[in-house]
Amino acid sequence: MKIQLKDSLYTLVRGKVLRTRQLTELEKLFEIALPEGQSLDHEPGQFVQVSIFGVGEAPISICSSPTKRDSFELAIRKVGRLTRALHELEPGDEVGIRGPYGKGFPVTLMEGNDIMIVGGGIGIVPLRSLINYIIDNRRDFGKVDILLGCKTPKDMLFGDEVETWQKRVDVNFSCTVDRADPDWKGNIGLITSLIPGVNLDPNRTFAAVVGPPVMYKYVIQELRKKQIPDRQILVSLERHMKCGLGKCGHCQIEHFYCCQDGPVFSFDQIKDLEGAI
Amino acid sequence: MSPKPKVAFFDFACCEGCQLQVANMGEELLDILGAIDVVEFREVMSEKWDQNYDVAVVEGSITDNHAVERIKKIRERSKVLIAYGSCATIGGVNGMKNNFPLEEIRKSVYGESAKFFDTIPTHAVGQVVKVDYFVTGCPVYPPEFVKVLKCALMGINYEVPDYAVCVECKLNENVCMYERGLTCLGPVTRAGCNSWCINNGNICYGCRGMVSNPNIKGAQDVIARYNIDMDLVQNKMNMYNKCRELNKK
Amino acid sequence: MKNLILSKERFEHFISLLAKKHNVMGPVHKGYDNFSFQPIKTAAEMTLKYVPTIIPPKKYFMPQYESFLEYDKTWGENMKAVVESEALVLFGVHTCDIAGIKALNIVFSDRPRDYNYLSRKKDVTIMGLECNEYCDEFASCAMMNNHLPDGGYDLFFTDLGDFFFVEVSTLKGDVIVEEIPVFEEALGRHFKELQGLRARKAKTFTNEVGIEYQHVPKILSDTKESLIWNELGDKCLACGNCTNVCPTCYCFNIWDEVNLDLKTGKRVRMWDSCQNEGYAKVAGGESFREERSARQKHRFFKKFKYMVDRYARFFCTGCGRCSRTCMAQINLKETLKKLKEEYAR
Repeated sequence: MKIQLKDSLYTLVRGKVLRTRQLTELEKLFEIALPEGQSLDHEPGQFVQVSIFGVGEAPISICSSPTKRDSFELAIRKVGRLTRALHELEPGDEVGIRGPYGKGFPVTLMEGNDIMIVGGGIGIVPLRSLINYIIDNRRDFGKVDILLGCKTPKDMLFGDEVETWQKRVDVNFSCTVDRADPDWKGNIGLITSLIPGVNLDPNRTFAAVVGPPVMYKYVIQELRKKQIPDRQILVSLERHMKCGLGKCGHCQIEHFYCCQDGPVFSFDQIKDLEGAI
Repeated sequence: MSPKPKVAFFDFACCEGCQLQVANMGEELLDILGAIDVVEFREVMSEKWDQNYDVAVVEGSITDNHAVERIKKIRERSKVLIAYGSCATIGGVNGMKNNFPLEEIRKSVYGESAKFFDTIPTHAVGQVVKVDYFVTGCPVYPPEFVKVLKCALMGINYEVPDYAVCVECKLNENVCMYERGLTCLGPVTRAGCNSWCINNGNICYGCRGMVSNPNIKGAQDVIARYNIDMDLVQNKMNMYNKCRELNKK
Repeated sequence: MKNLILSKERFEHFISLLAKKHNVMGPVHKGYDNFSFQPIKTAAEMTLKYVPTIIPPKKYFMPQYESFLEYDKTWGENMKAVVESEALVLFGVHTCDIAGIKALNIVFSDRPRDYNYLSRKKDVTIMGLECNEYCDEFASCAMMNNHLPDGGYDLFFTDLGDFFFVEVSTLKGDVIVEEIPVFEEALGRHFKELQGLRARKAKTFTNEVGIEYQHVPKILSDTKESLIWNELGDKCLACGNCTNVCPTCYCFNIWDEVNLDLKTGKRVRMWDSCQNEGYAKVAGGESFREERSARQKHRFFKKFKYMVDRYARFFCTGCGRCSRTCMAQINLKETLKKLKEEYAR
């Protein structure tokens, strides 16, 4: 017998694509609004499940700050079946949204402290939400350092916006690339090389680290050299996810489900876990 | 409403059994015919089409130079090409030809007229032209064929499951063939057929090709433990999978 | 809670009446000493002395394949969350499998709750059946302390020769014994026979591995780097049998299936396995458990440590299915013994 469920965790809300912008060859930015001016009401670092019916569903990090209330933004890299289909969408098209899911950055806990942001490559996507949140509430935070790294200058996402962060007097900004082009004026080398130069008070510093899986180990080593306590090192982990509800098992890291207990963890929570970093 | 996509069916070296599977689908075939416009299908119609195809569905393997030219032309005229059936996707039983010297094969097949027929080692379609979708199986499993056709019409990719037939077989709660004392290739063969053969009392012949990362050593240990002759398994495996050797070159 | 007896003479009658009123599933022999829960109408169709079924009764709570969302491309109101469920009676469920269902109940009622599972659970009546003897050498139910009834059922049957001792555990169970009046009151001598069986079982059902199960998490934590895991990886064919037959494995995959009109369709979920190649692979291609050894290790840790840390419950029931079904002969009991030896060193 088939019964219709009134409440299902899988029911979707209709999101409307307001604007799209090609960021790089592979990445595209989507601005999406929920029906009737509903706010997504997320925390920086959380994600949503995005659907195109018939094609599928995938977890995508929210890259806009919750301070921007009328709509939210997703920067999507074209890598799989769904993301390829998403790239075909145009303003006015609809996507299915459920969420936001997971634990984001503990911004309330971070308030009043110094913040160090370390982003590698596509890691800037969830960090952008946090950075803009901090900038919009700048007086609630102490010193802010932003360290970014990517392969080549043209891989840097949100170039215009990065430039505005760079220009701010209340933010210390540095950036590095693996391979420079002739116009590049910044550093060359791994992102780890930027950390020793940062002047910080470890006890009042929260570090937020997001990047490709290989990056974490080395960045965390440097942060620990700076005496930042493990519970103040925050990382966001990427795992294969299907349900986003702590059921399907794919994103399990020991007793945690990345989708519900993460994706943002303090290093303290996960440092001894098999296969976490 | 946009016109229905033009779909054509072609066959190369094969038994045409896969076409028969499609033609025999019954009611579901009517639904398919409602969604597409079949412009060529030798098994069921005699008309030909001289324009481009939205989707070409190709059965059979490529075994002579004439076939190479023909499949290249089909590819040029098709937006999307689906290889279906083991002959087309992995070379299938036609691959057994590659066990013998070409000359010997040519003589044994064509006798005195051999000189009039050129021949090449058996190739899967994907070893000659670009293939967009694969529907493996000997014959194809009709529900998978429909699934792939829908993906092709929607323009989204289809991934053949990369796990063993055992997975689907267990879900169907079949008694394991090894427990019946039979040798089954399910543990190293790619799923997607819903363990069709085993559900109907037969063993898996490996017609869908191997999983991408088979544990060869582990499989050999299992085979030895069940006192099964390694050559027998090798022969069984090569029955459908001989052509994969061409990929290594 | 009350206790009744059902005389053997009336058993066939009971099953026939039960099957007239309800959809009854019971253990059926499929040949080659393999069993499966199947719809039954009479007692004769069942084999009550059976080795755990190929697939545990979890298939009635979370079917192998299930659609949970139906949609229309023009969706909005046309999107429906659905559950397919029908009232069932499971007869003859062993205590190991009841333990499995209890474990799944925890997972799916943990918030956020899974309504598809829960609405099906509501529809199932469980009639347990005690194992008087061991099924085979693969079981480790005594180690896991799952060889005796411990709740999680509506009725529980123990075969005591001429009669079944029947424990009525829930209101749902009580309704059934009221509607099928074949039961009698349990008397002192019946209790005595039950105690006799339990005393005999205490001698035969002894810890099969020689490890108190409470110690397994510690043993695993200390043997994380053991080469034993590599040995398992070398053997494993990654066929997924061990997880598909496990009464507590609940992982699933999700995808969409469109109809030929390309406008309507459904979203479905199907059992998935941590042993499968693509299970932990992210979109960029990186797999977090590339090696088969890491996947096997994940399975053991999940049963004996991760879930214990999360829900304070062991997710191995001791049913022995994973070892019984493994063509590569990866044996849970042997592996635990080896790990313990290494741990002791």
